[in-house]
Amino acid sequence: MSDNQETVKHNSSAGFSRLIVIWGTTLILIAFGLGVTLYLIERSKQSAVPTAPPPLPIAANPSDIPPPPQEVNLFLLDTTALTLVPVKTERRLHAELTKRLSQIITALIQETPPNFRNTIPRGTVLNEAYIDSQQTAYLDFSNHLTDGHIGGTTAELLTITAILKTVFDAFPEEIKQVQILIDGEEVRTLAGHLNLLQPLHLFQ
Amino acid sequence: MESGYTERNVKALSLPNRTARNIRKTVSVLFLSILAWVIAPNSPAQENSVRFIDANGETIAETPAQRQGEQLYLSVDAVRQVFDPAMTDQYNHPRKRLILKTKDQQIRLQIGHPIVGIDPSGLTHTLPSPPIIIAQQPMLPIAFFTRILPDFYNLEALYNPSLQRVQLRPKGTWTFFARAGDSVNWAIIIDPGHGGADDRGCESSTGLLEKDIVLALAKRLQRISEEQGIKVYLTRQTDTKKTHFERIQVAKRNQGQLFLSLHCNASFSPHEKGIKIYLNNPKGQLRFPSNVQSAPTGQRLKILAQANFLKQSQDFAHALQTELNFLTETPVEMTELPLIALSEAYMPAVVLELGYLSNVEDLEKLSDSKYIANVAQAIVRAFQRHISSINPPVQSTALEQEQ
Ligand SMILES: [Zn+2]
Repeated sequence: MSDNQETVKHNSSAGFSRLIVIWGTTLILIAFGLGVTLYLIERSKQSAVPTAPPPLPIAANPSDIPPPPQEVNLFLLDTTALTLVPVKTERRLHAELTKRLSQIITALIQETPPNFRNTIPRGTVLNEAYIDSQQTAYLDFSNHLTDGHIGGTTAELLTITAILKTVFDAFPEEIKQVQILIDGEEVRTLAGHLNLLQPLHLFQ
Repeated sequence: MESGYTERNVKALSLPNRTARNIRKTVSVLFLSILAWVIAPNSPAQENSVRFIDANGETIAETPAQRQGEQLYLSVDAVRQVFDPAMTDQYNHPRKRLILKTKDQQIRLQIGHPIVGIDPSGLTHTLPSPPIIIAQQPMLPIAFFTRILPDFYNLEALYNPSLQRVQLRPKGTWTFFARAGDSVNWAIIIDPGHGGADDRGCESSTGLLEKDIVLALAKRLQRISEEQGIKVYLTRQTDTKKTHFERIQVAKRNQGQLFLSLHCNASFSPHEKGIKIYLNNPKGQLRFPSNVQSAPTGQRLKILAQANFLKQSQDFAHALQTELNFLTETPVEMTELPLIALSEAYMPAVVLELGYLSNVEDLEKLSDSKYIANVAQAIVRAFQRHISSINPPVQSTALEQEQ
């Protein structure tokens, strides 16, 4: 029993020194590897090698980069105050004007946060948006805007005003008036009350 | 053992607890008494008061009133406040007789008796309910103020019991045409909006349709107006689809001098309610481009012609507003917008939105035939008010003839 203990003691002291050697070698190797890596990184930074993978998006094609999100005001009905209020939302907006207009109007159609009512009838789609040289924006909606409308002068006024306010808030310089179209055609009215035969703007 | 411990504990705590509770009770009783004392003298007057207004809707006096069952009673002082500050009164307590002296006449009233005697004429009137005593004071029923007193001062009264509002105006204001037969040359066009299977207008959750409400009201208006000597033409008599052009043709054919388009409103919020008046103005809250010159020639002429009628349309809208305000708790709003229904109407023209089918309270009113009857009466009074403000009545212009 005691013999066995002696052997173990002896064996353990020899194993300990061996362990130190192994650990020491490993640490030296790690330190060396780390040094080499850092050196290589530093070298690659200094010499702008064109073949290196693009570290920054600047080097990529501009149309492929998602633009940073921008704040947009969408005008929705505050059901307690009974007025249209700007509701902020973030959208990655396109640089091109008409595409940006389409994006914002589509966002207005889709947005329905709690405590607010969207004044665009459900199912409405923006077919196309176009801005002419007179700074008139033409917004061509699907027939749901008229066929799905609840009617009444107030509701019709709210629908039109929400569109106009959203457009003029986002494009204060670029758009002066808005002409509403339904499936590519001019319409007399949405729900039988407002006259939509001409482009509209808001009295400030 | 354990329950005994708990009980002891409760007992030990209960003494200061009870004291605290007593203090709280005393404080709250004291607070409530003070609150009641502050509120009490004001509350009956606030809850029950009658507002007397003049022909233009301006307040003459707001008098405190007492309600006894279904009846509303006003004090003798209200007679002085509303009709005659020089009126004197004598009340004989034992005999329960009240004598009012006004305009060299005596009005004899007896507590508990509905008969009113007038001296020296000897005429008598019967009240629907007799004068009574409240808090040792003689009190007069509202009918005395709406049916008997106005006659003394050559006035006519209109009473709205739901809003406790009385309108007083010179006699003959509402019955002028029926008596004088002076409105033969007046033709009013009433346009019940929408119609037909495709154009139902707005719809309530209960299935009530705008096109039906406005047609029923239009027919009622035609009947009442013609009783008052005012000729009325409807743009549709049945539930049929009519274009805006066809409606305007009715107005032109009959040489209409006033165009009233009837509609029911709707909103995306169920809270929005009330009567609204809309005027056609291409330069209103929503507007067409400012450069009229850029519009096509025909369109430009139309815009200019419409502008000529805007002032007259506003005058009629004000008449409507004054009359309809009598029926509403909040004043009727007026908005100017480019309106398709009136865009070709070369005459004073107004769109009247009777109430919101998307609002529960408005829906209830619009489903109530009594309310509709009151609205119809108010509209006819607005016609009368407008016609009498124009003397001689405006003839159709050369421009209109050209159309
Ligand atoms: Zn309508």
